[in-house]
Amino acid sequence: MKRTILALLAAIAAASAPVVAGEAWAQGKYVHANNSGYDNLDPHAIFDVGRAASRINFYDGLYRWVDNPPKMIPWLAESHTASADGKTWTFKLRKGVKFHDGSEFTADDVIYSIERMLAMKKGAASLFLPIIAPGSTKAPDKYTVVFTLKEPSAIFLATVPEILVVNSKLVKKNEKDGDWGQAWLARNVASSGSYKLKRYDPAIGFVGERFKEHFAGWGPKAFDEIEFRTVLETNTRVQGMIKGDFQGTDGYLPYDQILRLKEAKNVQILEAESMRVFYFSMHNGRSLMNDVHFRKALAYAFDYDGFIKDILKGAVARNPSPNPNNLWGAPKDLKGFTYDLEKAKAELAQVKEPLRPITIGTLAGFSETEQAAALLQNGAKKIGIEIKIESAPWPVVQSRMQDRDKNYDMVPLWKSTYYVDPNNWVGELYGSRYIGTRNSSYTKDAELDKWIDEALATNDQEKRRVLYEKAATKVAEQAMGIFVYNTKWYGPYAANIGGIRFSPIGSGQDMRWAYYK
Amino acid sequence: MMPGWRRGLGRFASDRASALGLALLLALVVAAVFAPILAPFPGDVADFHTANRLRPPDAVNWLGTDRMGSDLLSRILFGARITITIAVVAVGSAVLVGVPIGLVAGYYGGWPSNLLMRVSDVFLAVPQIVLAIAIAQTLGPSIENVILALSITYWPFWARLVFAETRSLKNEVFIESAIALGASPLRVMTLHVLPNIASAIIVRTSIGMGGTILTAAALGFLGLGAPPPTPEWGRMIAESREFLPEAWWYATVPGVAIFMVVMGFNLLGDGLRDFLDPRIRRGAGVK
Repeated sequence: MKRTILALLAAIAAASAPVVAGEAWAQGKYVHANNSGYDNLDPHAIFDVGRAASRINFYDGLYRWVDNPPKMIPWLAESHTASADGKTWTFKLRKGVKFHDGSEFTADDVIYSIERMLAMKKGAASLFLPIIAPGSTKAPDKYTVVFTLKEPSAIFLATVPEILVVNSKLVKKNEKDGDWGQAWLARNVASSGSYKLKRYDPAIGFVGERFKEHFAGWGPKAFDEIEFRTVLETNTRVQGMIKGDFQGTDGYLPYDQILRLKEAKNVQILEAESMRVFYFSMHNGRSLMNDVHFRKALAYAFDYDGFIKDILKGAVARNPSPNPNNLWGAPKDLKGFTYDLEKAKAELAQVKEPLRPITIGTLAGFSETEQAAALLQNGAKKIGIEIKIESAPWPVVQSRMQDRDKNYDMVPLWKSTYYVDPNNWVGELYGSRYIGTRNSSYTKDAELDKWIDEALATNDQEKRRVLYEKAATKVAEQAMGIFVYNTKWYGPYAANIGGIRFSPIGSGQDMRWAYYK
Repeated sequence: MMPGWRRGLGRFASDRASALGLALLLALVVAAVFAPILAPFPGDVADFHTANRLRPPDAVNWLGTDRMGSDLLSRILFGARITITIAVVAVGSAVLVGVPIGLVAGYYGGWPSNLLMRVSDVFLAVPQIVLAIAIAQTLGPSIENVILALSITYWPFWARLVFAETRSLKNEVFIESAIALGASPLRVMTLHVLPNIASAIIVRTSIGMGGTILTAAALGFLGLGAPPPTPEWGRMIAESREFLPEAWWYATVPGVAIFMVVMGFNLLGDGLRDFLDPRIRRGAGVK
């Protein structure tokens, strides 16, 4: 009898499983395979493209980036005014916006959010720490926020979308020992954003459920549920796309894989001009690596043509400086390094310090970084520099990069767009004001700092262009990093998905606009 | 020696499976020793030709090329050296550690025996591969650490085996006579016990080699083995994954290499068992 019941139960379970899956499909579920883990959901703790999906889909900012070339649209704020001296910025907030728990969004939440960022000093805080003093942001009324900057900042407005607003009452309730609710918000969501958190497991990923009452409204066919799943294995992501298990995956696939996906009938590859510079980040603050001749030797030892033409099949364009060529502020006549072992040897001969093995950290799941590292290792070996390659998941690599001592000597990676301004590249990567956060080269160069600070303090575009070109030229010529290419974006999605609104900021992971055709 | 020895040798030679195993292993040794001569492009172990990447097998690259454009045949041949080194050193040190422990524990009995065997139980309680992953991960990726991880996780197998064999031999008359004649424990263990359990150790070692190579390849596959550009077979398979199924040769070549070597050790182990230990041979009673 017992056995019969068990068998019956099993039969029912087996019969109902496909029905349930079919239903989920009909309601519009989108599954995205991501190549790095979602180890933390706190919007103020993380700030990178690999983990952008939770920030974009769960949280709202005062403004929001959309489209390409990127433009900012009013979001939680409706408008702003700036004082003549460029220091006082007043934002008028949208009225009647509801958080997921039904409470109302007000200026207090914005203030709590910016204070939280400044106190935590993580993620996007690096953009605001130099210009906003804690306690200086005020709310004259429920729907007005006034930011008073320490100094005028040319990029402040472009970074406003990064002030993601948390539900302050809810977070405060979950604070523990003055931790600004960090432990709680790492695994929970307190926001007004497009999706509500339905399920989260740091080892697997997260599922979001559409927040129907979202102030911005919804298209008729918007996804009811979005899932972002961690799938480190490139081939599993690609096969999953081809089989239809995933409806989208990262825009970091090696070009070999893009070509494979182009052959698949149920997959579309969206292509867009983008700004994402691939380079070797170099730890300029460490013995040997702080010798310009040693760095130049390495820069001459990388086979740029072999990498771009053979491995990436010419799908990207050489970019010799940290600033993307398709943006103002990129030096026009800069030649850049070529693969030239004779010159590399000549540079190495001028290095006085004894050589030591150099460690490159590569990003697990991003096989392009491994291939680039192997290529540099090969070139370096020919001139007598030994390179060791270690691979680790992106969150691990990133946290090591933010620690001067634990940082690798070099890391091949991309610098994506977080706001469209040359400061996003040469400024953050080489300005000493960003050391330990965005500047993992640990460069502290008086001349560079002067140019970068000057460029931030003025709104004169022509003046800024000249300053950024000078800074980018110096960085490139002194090989403070090895700059390789600027990429196009290739976004793999299921063929029946429409409405992907790609923006270089967020890399096409803002799912609120997308739908099944 | 006894006439059984001759019979055993004859049986070994006439057993096709064992001969095949031996042949495979000889091929492995030849590949490893003569890799610089046999390899068509010896430089390709560490050198890349990106323009030639992912070429299918042809007249120039007999087994095709990998993602960096290096010749796979050359890399496989040099990889044989790493495979042999790992297997011999790891199993060798496991034998060197496990056998004395098993001997001592089996010969003396009592609390030292219990202690040693409980320690080996602790190691055996965790699946070998899991323990090896944990150790290799902690120590960092390198060949030396893989060998260390494998030795640490492998010695209890020999300790257990030798322990059981020693225990059963200890009560044999010839051992008792040796003790009665005043032979020291060391003498009894090395001159009387060890030679009589050698066959079991040899058989276990041969089969253990195959297992070790498989585990080492698994560690390499997981990125815990030799760092790039070492032509380690497991790592080569890991690199090839994302080019499947188009670049079928890329995963197939190191995969077949691992398969053949492991099969070689297993066939040889089986053959040796037939030859050395007639009590438990395959198909006993039929043959």
